[in-house]
Amino acid sequence: MKKFDRFVKTIPMKLYILIAVLLIFAFFSNDFGLVDIQKTAVILAAGVDRTEEGFLLTAQIAVPKGTERSSCGTASIDVEGEGKTVAECVSQIYSKTGWVPKLIFCNLLLFGEETAEQDVIGCMDYFLRNEYMQDNCFVAVSEGSANGMLTTKSATEDTTSLAMEKLFSDAAGKSGKVMKNTLKEFAIGYYGESGSGFMPFIRAKDQDCGSESGGGAGSDASGSGGGSQSSSSAQGEEQKKIYSAEETAIFSNGKMVGMLPPEQTFTFSLLKGNVFSGTFLSEEDGKPVSVTVLKNKGGVKLDTKNKPKITLSVDLKIRLHNRGVPSPIEDVANEKVSDEVQQAAQERIGTFMHELWENCKTSGCDLFQLKRELYRSSPKKYGEWKDTLLTTADVEIKPNVKSIQ
Amino acid sequence: MKNITGSLEKDLAELKKILPAEDILTFEFQSEKGLAFTCVFADAVTDKELLGEQIILPLKRYEGEATAQAIGEFVTSPELRKEKSLTKLAEEVLAGNPVLLFEGADEGIIAGTKKVFVRAVSEPPTDVVIKGPREGFIEDVKINTSLVRRRLKTPDLKIEMLKVGRRSQTFVAMCYLEGTTPQKTIDEVKKKLQSIDIDVVPDSSYLTHFLSTRPYSLMKQSGTTEKPDIFCAKIAEGRVGILVDGSPIALTVPYLLVEDFQASEDYYVPSYRATFTRILRVLSLIVAIYGPAFYISAQLFKLQLFPIKLLLTISGSIRDIPLSPSLEMLLVLFVLEVLNEASIRMPKYVGMALSVVGALVLGETAVNAGFVSTPAIIIIAFSGIGLYAVPNLIEQTSMVRLAMLLVAGSVGTYGIILLTAFILLYLVTSENFGVPVLAPFSPMIGRDLRDSIVKYNLASLPTRPKAFKSKNKRRLKTHE
Amino acid sequence: MNKIAPRQLYFLLAAVMPVGKLILMPTQLAYYAKNDLLFPAAANFLLQAGIIFLIMLLSRSNRTFYDMLCYTFGKIAAKIVLSSLALFLFFAALLPLFEQKLMVQSVFYDTLPSIVAFAPFYLFSAYLCAKPLCNFGRAWDIIAPISIVGFFGIMLLSVSNAEFSALAPVGVNGAGGFFGGTAYTMSWFFDSALLLVLIGKFEYKKGMAWKSAVSYLIGAAAVLVFLAVFYGIFSDIAERQFFAFSKISKYFSGMTVLGRIDYLFIYSLALVMAYFCALPVHAGVDCLTQAYGNDGVKPVIFSVAINGILLVLSFVLDYRFGVLNDTITKTLFWIFPAFSVLMPLLALLLRRKPREKV
Repeated sequence: MKKFDRFVKTIPMKLYILIAVLLIFAFFSNDFGLVDIQKTAVILAAGVDRTEEGFLLTAQIAVPKGTERSSCGTASIDVEGEGKTVAECVSQIYSKTGWVPKLIFCNLLLFGEETAEQDVIGCMDYFLRNEYMQDNCFVAVSEGSANGMLTTKSATEDTTSLAMEKLFSDAAGKSGKVMKNTLKEFAIGYYGESGSGFMPFIRAKDQDCGSESGGGAGSDASGSGGGSQSSSSAQGEEQKKIYSAEETAIFSNGKMVGMLPPEQTFTFSLLKGNVFSGTFLSEEDGKPVSVTVLKNKGGVKLDTKNKPKITLSVDLKIRLHNRGVPSPIEDVANEKVSDEVQQAAQERIGTFMHELWENCKTSGCDLFQLKRELYRSSPKKYGEWKDTLLTTADVEIKPNVKSIQ
Repeated sequence: MKNITGSLEKDLAELKKILPAEDILTFEFQSEKGLAFTCVFADAVTDKELLGEQIILPLKRYEGEATAQAIGEFVTSPELRKEKSLTKLAEEVLAGNPVLLFEGADEGIIAGTKKVFVRAVSEPPTDVVIKGPREGFIEDVKINTSLVRRRLKTPDLKIEMLKVGRRSQTFVAMCYLEGTTPQKTIDEVKKKLQSIDIDVVPDSSYLTHFLSTRPYSLMKQSGTTEKPDIFCAKIAEGRVGILVDGSPIALTVPYLLVEDFQASEDYYVPSYRATFTRILRVLSLIVAIYGPAFYISAQLFKLQLFPIKLLLTISGSIRDIPLSPSLEMLLVLFVLEVLNEASIRMPKYVGMALSVVGALVLGETAVNAGFVSTPAIIIIAFSGIGLYAVPNLIEQTSMVRLAMLLVAGSVGTYGIILLTAFILLYLVTSENFGVPVLAPFSPMIGRDLRDSIVKYNLASLPTRPKAFKSKNKRRLKTHE
Repeated sequence: MNKIAPRQLYFLLAAVMPVGKLILMPTQLAYYAKNDLLFPAAANFLLQAGIIFLIMLLSRSNRTFYDMLCYTFGKIAAKIVLSSLALFLFFAALLPLFEQKLMVQSVFYDTLPSIVAFAPFYLFSAYLCAKPLCNFGRAWDIIAPISIVGFFGIMLLSVSNAEFSALAPVGVNGAGGFFGGTAYTMSWFFDSALLLVLIGKFEYKKGMAWKSAVSYLIGAAAVLVFLAVFYGIFSDIAERQFFAFSKISKYFSGMTVLGRIDYLFIYSLALVMAYFCALPVHAGVDCLTQAYGNDGVKPVIFSVAINGILLVLSFVLDYRFGVLNDTITKTLFWIFPAFSVLMPLLALLLRRKPREKV
């Protein structure tokens, strides 16, 4: 018994030695199924297009500087994978490159225009299920195919997706020209009572002449060869692009049902109360005048007392930004906006708000999540009104534009 | 054990038998009345000039009785002892104290004219301060006790001299404040010191092994200092201090982990500055221990720990490195440890050359040759510096860093978390002379936290640390 | 070292026990009770707080649960009851262990790691369980502040992203949602059973009963705030968000500049979770040592054996978490109130002093 006790007492020490040996073995063998930095494909952005067979996934993968494109900035290569599901596309990328694709740094999900019109939720499914995917990544619809857009060459950045991400910066959001959205917010909108959402719509323009050339044009060609690896460096001769996301694609039940032109995107921003220092045009003596928004309050209110009543309100404080005609110095020193400009601005915003509402109504997109609002404020009436809310509700548009004092 | 017989010839022969060494010399002389004396002394360790002045010259004029008592009263030496045992007299000779034998002697006379070879009291190289006392302990226990006594002029300061080491017979001074240090701690320390049965004690660090309750512990089991001001402050808090002859490093027990984060200078600068520097020490230690581990576990298992731009920079710099990230880091750490070890032991004039070799040849050339990456060198360099923010824990923290590195390279970040949990558990269950090592954090002692990582103003620290269970609690009288 | 200090007990109740409820319980609650998730959670917390209050009253005698069982029914019956309590605690430990394992795979790795990645936890647990339960008290002194800092850090980074209107309309999911949520999350509420093992290991002091209940409610309030923020951030997709505490803070806008600083707080909580997950196992081992003696190497044997079994289970059930989760939370959920409500209530009837010999 004493021997046994002695043996048991020495167990901890023996265990420590065993653990140390195992640890050292594990350290030097260095293989517990780990995927280290050298075996990883860091996906910066992913573009999804539907094809006849299923999906085409374009992954923009960051590569160490110096190997591709340039020795400064962030270099990248574009790799495509095709399959019946997005997951199959990902594994095809893995088998092609030998790198394990990791989505942890994926900050942009781009959907092709046609894909968005068919259904984006099916494409998103893989990303929503993936525990290692960052659901705060930006989502956007591209003109033409996502593949074509991602494989264009940016004029401002080495990596296309990084140039596009710049469109969604906080500063850009405050200008009111872009309405950014994330995977999480889009999913909440889709799975919520409204079943609606939005994504910025990205267009590419040639840098030199500014003429539009959709990403789709060249993209279809490269996309059709699905599964081929295309390096951005191969596009040396291609025209460099600049990108804009002034339009917003609106969705209902996961399908793109309409588009907000730049004015309506700006108005949407105003209604969300996002804008600070954003500018828009007004009129004075029949000539255009730019004004800047210094203070923006916006809101969409749902009144459920008797009949549903929706109030869209925007309160703005503006100052004069640019006249475009020669003005005396006293006028240049004065930032105050004349009553005429103020009035014209108010009318203009009112018109945009009205157009925005009509656009949403006709497309069936509950852009302002009114059904969710209805559900939260009055679950009983939600059951009664949910299908007719957008079409039957009384709408009041209340633009209020004031000059700074 | 043989005693003095009274026959000078016999006694001398017996003493010579015990001390056959060639450096044991004798000097024979007679008094004016013809009384024969023999002085036995060890060459080189006895102050012969003092011996001549204080013992031999007066005795040449001696006319009194041939008793140790009468002779002792006649000579002018202030330090005189008498001893019958020849063995003990021989020990004194070896210690440098000459022994005086005479015809008809009832006892031998020991004169305290030992020649003391000591270096001057100087600033200790390991405890340099900008503000505060610059004195440091030296190798002589008597001078060290005098340095303590000078700072604590109270009868409560007890210095108990013990002899440890069968052959070395090393003097060990146990210092404490009576009424302040709990008797239980004093008794326990004394018991442990007395129970040490070793032949030689060359340094105080030998004693730490015997004082510890967990001899194989990773953690330190006793505090160390080279500065008398720190030593006295620790004693005043209720600890027992131990000075060992031949060692400038003093020991203090019970030991608290937090004391190594406290520098003497913290008490000489404003409290906000002291708090800042203590936080800095903790942070630099944390970064030094965890930095390399997190760096490799991030590369191997969790890239997300890097911001994307940094990730791409690292990715670029390690692209052509032939080693895996963990092996690369281990290699750099190994080089650092070798450089560290070599630079400490190497003669000073070679040290400069070594720095150049280390920094330029090994560092830059290794990066250029593609053996290691620049980020790995930066991280290990910072880690190397960071550990020295708490120099007293360097032995422990460097091992913890290595363990963290091994765990990170094999299990990843979760391994680091588990090892941290394990170390925390180990620390919270560790006690030193009945005092929890992690006090005042665990068990949490609110009042003691005022002088932990945070340092309150001295006026806000009226009591001694509660962790030591001191009987005399109050150290500052306030006029409340 | 022999007794747990009152402060350490309050720390356990307020800052350690709630941590185990931040991994999968929010998701489960969101699944059953949707936006009403706060109510089932509050109901379970209140029930537990009440039982904790009663257990603390029971602890006034400063006798262990085992002692009281011995005084009332004799040693053999006491051993049977304590063994069954130990079995329950090992069973209750399964859910936290497995959810922590999944959390580790998700939060600490970029790709699904090898099955052995979580195995070192059992080494830690075995080391911890071999030590007396009272040793844990000092650990709470250290980990409770870590827990508080981690929790507040995460809340600070996430609260601004929460839209609390997502919690409306109140009560819309009806009794079904409430009772479903309450019943099927009972598996996370075995706190009072843990406390039952701890009685007698601390010196009862005046007012400890209500202070303990209040401490527990403070922790409960923190969890409720967490749940509100969690649902406010994820609303309709909350039931898909596993490992809630590791998800809610990543939307902080400053993260783009600083990188994922929230991992600092997430890892702090993961450290606390390592202790929390070992707690029911430790308590179970303590029950066994109380019943069958703690002399010599018995605690080490119990600890190694139990943790070994759990390690084997974790390998065997690796890809069957769904089944395990359903079995524990849906089929066998009633076991939890039986041991953490009924048993403490019955314990109130136990003798607190030995029978006087006639």
